[in-house]
Amino acid sequence: MSLLDLLALLPILILVFAGTTILMVGAWYKEPRPLIAGGILTALLAALAAGMVEPPVSEIAGLFSAGAYARFFTILWSLLAAAGLMLGARFVEDKKIGAGEYVSLVLYGAAGMALLSSATHLLGLFLALETFTLAFYILIACNRDCEFAAEAGLKYLLMGAVATGFMAFGIALIYASTGSLALPDAVTQLTTASGELHAWGLLGWGMILIAVGFKISLAPFHLWTADVYQGAPSPITALLATGSKGAVVAALVGMLAVSGPIWHDLVELLWLMAALTMLVGAFSALTQKNLKRLLAYSSVTHMGTLLVGLLCQTSAGLAATTFYVVVYVVASFGTFAVIASLADKRGEPMTFDDLRGLGYQHPVRCGVLVLLLLSLAGLPATAGFMAKFTIFHAALQSGYIGLVVIGVFASVVSFAFYLSVAMLLFKPDESASSWHAGSSLEHAVLAVCSSAVLLFGLFPGILFDLIGRLLP
Amino acid sequence: MTVLTSLPQFPWLSLLIVLPLVGALLCLMHSKRPADCRALSLATSLAVFGVALYLFICHGQGEGRWLLYEDVSWIERFGARYVLAMDGIALLMVLLTSFMQVSAVLLAWRVERHVSSFFALLLLLEAGLMGIFLAYDLVLFYLFWEVALIPMFFLISVWGGANRRQAALKFFLYTLVGSFFMLIAIIALYQIHGAQSGVYSFVIGDLLQTQLTAAQEGWLFAGFMAAFIVKSPLVPFHTWLTDALTESPAAGSLDLTGLLLKTGIYGLIRVAFPLFPNATENFLPILAILALIGLFHAAWSAYHQDDIKRLLAYSSISHLGLVVLGLAAWQFTAWEGSILLMVSHGITTGGLFVLVALIQERTGTRSMKELGGLWGQAPCLGFLFLLFSLASLGLPGLANFSGEILVLLGTFQQHPLWAVIALLGVVFAAAYILRLVQGVLWGPAYKERSVPDLTLREWIILLPMAILVVWMGVYPEPFLAPMHGAVETLLAGGLP
Repeated sequence: MSLLDLLALLPILILVFAGTTILMVGAWYKEPRPLIAGGILTALLAALAAGMVEPPVSEIAGLFSAGAYARFFTILWSLLAAAGLMLGARFVEDKKIGAGEYVSLVLYGAAGMALLSSATHLLGLFLALETFTLAFYILIACNRDCEFAAEAGLKYLLMGAVATGFMAFGIALIYASTGSLALPDAVTQLTTASGELHAWGLLGWGMILIAVGFKISLAPFHLWTADVYQGAPSPITALLATGSKGAVVAALVGMLAVSGPIWHDLVELLWLMAALTMLVGAFSALTQKNLKRLLAYSSVTHMGTLLVGLLCQTSAGLAATTFYVVVYVVASFGTFAVIASLADKRGEPMTFDDLRGLGYQHPVRCGVLVLLLLSLAGLPATAGFMAKFTIFHAALQSGYIGLVVIGVFASVVSFAFYLSVAMLLFKPDESASSWHAGSSLEHAVLAVCSSAVLLFGLFPGILFDLIGRLLP
Repeated sequence: MTVLTSLPQFPWLSLLIVLPLVGALLCLMHSKRPADCRALSLATSLAVFGVALYLFICHGQGEGRWLLYEDVSWIERFGARYVLAMDGIALLMVLLTSFMQVSAVLLAWRVERHVSSFFALLLLLEAGLMGIFLAYDLVLFYLFWEVALIPMFFLISVWGGANRRQAALKFFLYTLVGSFFMLIAIIALYQIHGAQSGVYSFVIGDLLQTQLTAAQEGWLFAGFMAAFIVKSPLVPFHTWLTDALTESPAAGSLDLTGLLLKTGIYGLIRVAFPLFPNATENFLPILAILALIGLFHAAWSAYHQDDIKRLLAYSSISHLGLVVLGLAAWQFTAWEGSILLMVSHGITTGGLFVLVALIQERTGTRSMKELGGLWGQAPCLGFLFLLFSLASLGLPGLANFSGEILVLLGTFQQHPLWAVIALLGVVFAAAYILRLVQGVLWGPAYKERSVPDLTLREWIILLPMAILVVWMGVYPEPFLAPMHGAVETLLAGGLP
């Protein structure tokens, strides 16, 4: 690895070294606020570095890309980490959690996500995935007062371990059949490979898909999602729901963009998974009585829709998927941010009993929540509509009419549960209690999320043009 | 595609949409002062009405396809443009919308709970409706189509009656399912057109030139019809309306019946018919049958209602059946009659909904069993109730008559049988309306209670409506004049 490579890795290095420094300092210096402020600054600095410093090489150590696409997601995940720390500040202070550990783990996680989105090599993919998963194992269970947190952490650990196993085995099979783990090669070799080797290679890809299925909760590998979302503290759930899933999808988009259609022989399987994921997510969400669980199943549906975009394997499909990822990340993060900002000594308002009539106690934040939920549902004039629109558009272009119809159907169902939450929030209820007023950091995060949702909904051209230039 | 003028002109059409939006935002910003919100939304809706009136007077008579046209680039990547266009029909709908909106704001004057949100939603609804009537790009059209749903949904679910949650959700999901079919059809049409011409555009004017096979045309037409038929609503997709109208707060029912229902029929005229002329031609008889079934079924149901609001909901469905029948006849006079009937139905039924709200305010009930004798107790209220009821019944000299007679005349020329059947339906209307009048106005009072007569505010709401009802019945020409050209163009462009 040369010095130039290191310069290209600058944002990651900032995240990791500053994270480690904060961890060390945190061991002696217990005051949470400066540590968290340091973490936020670090994440912002990393985003700035990714945006401003033109990398001198296009690939780092043959494992990670340093292209515009990778830089875009490095910026996105760094900003997300900053926003996550903003949300976590009050939580860390109230629950007396070691700020040093918390901040450094979030920063490591962001580094892992950024690396994952830029992976061009299966080994790089594996390493990056494990990096942020490790950070999450700890973060999910960090709230020791909450009985669900430990369960959630354990569940995520077990599922993660299974996924890791599948991933490693799949990579090994691909290596065995193609002799390469670098991305365009591993795919091109596979298409030319004959007979048995081809079959082993496909099996390898299938196993990688299963691992991916666990990570981004595609049905039928989604069962952990609701429990983990519910148990994890909202500032962490926000990161888990957006960053960890978005980074995996971004990595898949990057892989497809570099190496062309990978999945010709797996199309039927993916089709089925996408359809199943969309439907199972939507219908499971319908019966939930807890907002975080509901959002967990809603994210399952969203992942199904994203899979439709990936399945197209065309440049339009990839651009649509990237757009969708960004929009989903913003809207979904915002919903958890609302929950986090309302949390107080009693915990977080998440059951439907807590939410009933809350709109009259906290009109602005509940209004924002409704806006974000409507964006997740895909109402026109919000970004979510444009995202769904482009995905369905790309899918129709590629001829997946059946999937589009299923996707639209799932959207109708999801409108039902998003709206039922909206109705609940504004149901007249005298007994609704008031929750925390929220810190200014949390309000800032919400302001950014809601304005982004409206901006990208009314003027999606800005983001489309950017993404069009990013994809190779 | 003729663009009227390349000169930069004042964006009147955008103003119609932006004004209510600004008003809504200002309302939300003054949430602590309800009185300001009321005044603000009244001022906003009056301003919009002023603009609409100005357009009616100064731009009402224009040459060419469009009276006003605005075209700005929007989402370049997809070729979606911000295109607003107004022809004579749109002009009438805009005028109706802005007029009803003023009444709705006045009617909502006494809302006590969460005043600022209520008015903000009402204004947002107006912006959405204006957008639907003016948009000439399918993405923009779809956007407004859905945006108009949200305020209505919240108006019903927060300020509505006892079953509001269920009614609101039903309303939303019914229309949503329909519009998702439309969305798929929009994308598919865009794709086919783009593949053919190389120009990817959502502007309706561009899409008109798409060459479609019969099967393609049929499917796409079905997609659009799913949205429009549910919204119109034609039987058997009408059940959402009766619940929504019954549970909605007064101002909401006014907008729902007077305006939101019209969007479905307007969509037929503006989007579905011109885009798919051949499919339309094949579908017209089915449309007529659906319309006739609706006409009778709704009249029959109306006759058996006890809740007067529900009765009026069914009567709306019945009237709209006649409107759709006129369209299905595909004849100049019938079309003009249909469009006129849309406008006059908005005003007469709107007036009746206002009166029902007032009666409910005064007596606390909407059940005919517990009403009666209002004529003696509140003569002015009773008189207006009678006037609007008779107009709704189709009494010559009052608003609905002009429209109905034109529809029947026009239909008779093309399909005598349809007209004869429809005439029977109109007789049905007489039955349920007379029952309504009898139940509410005449007979002994259910119990002795003091029913105050109309206040000044209520006169201000109802008097302009009453004047319009008489005016449209006696001399409808000013309302017909702007639409001549537009109807001719649509009929010529529709069938080959």
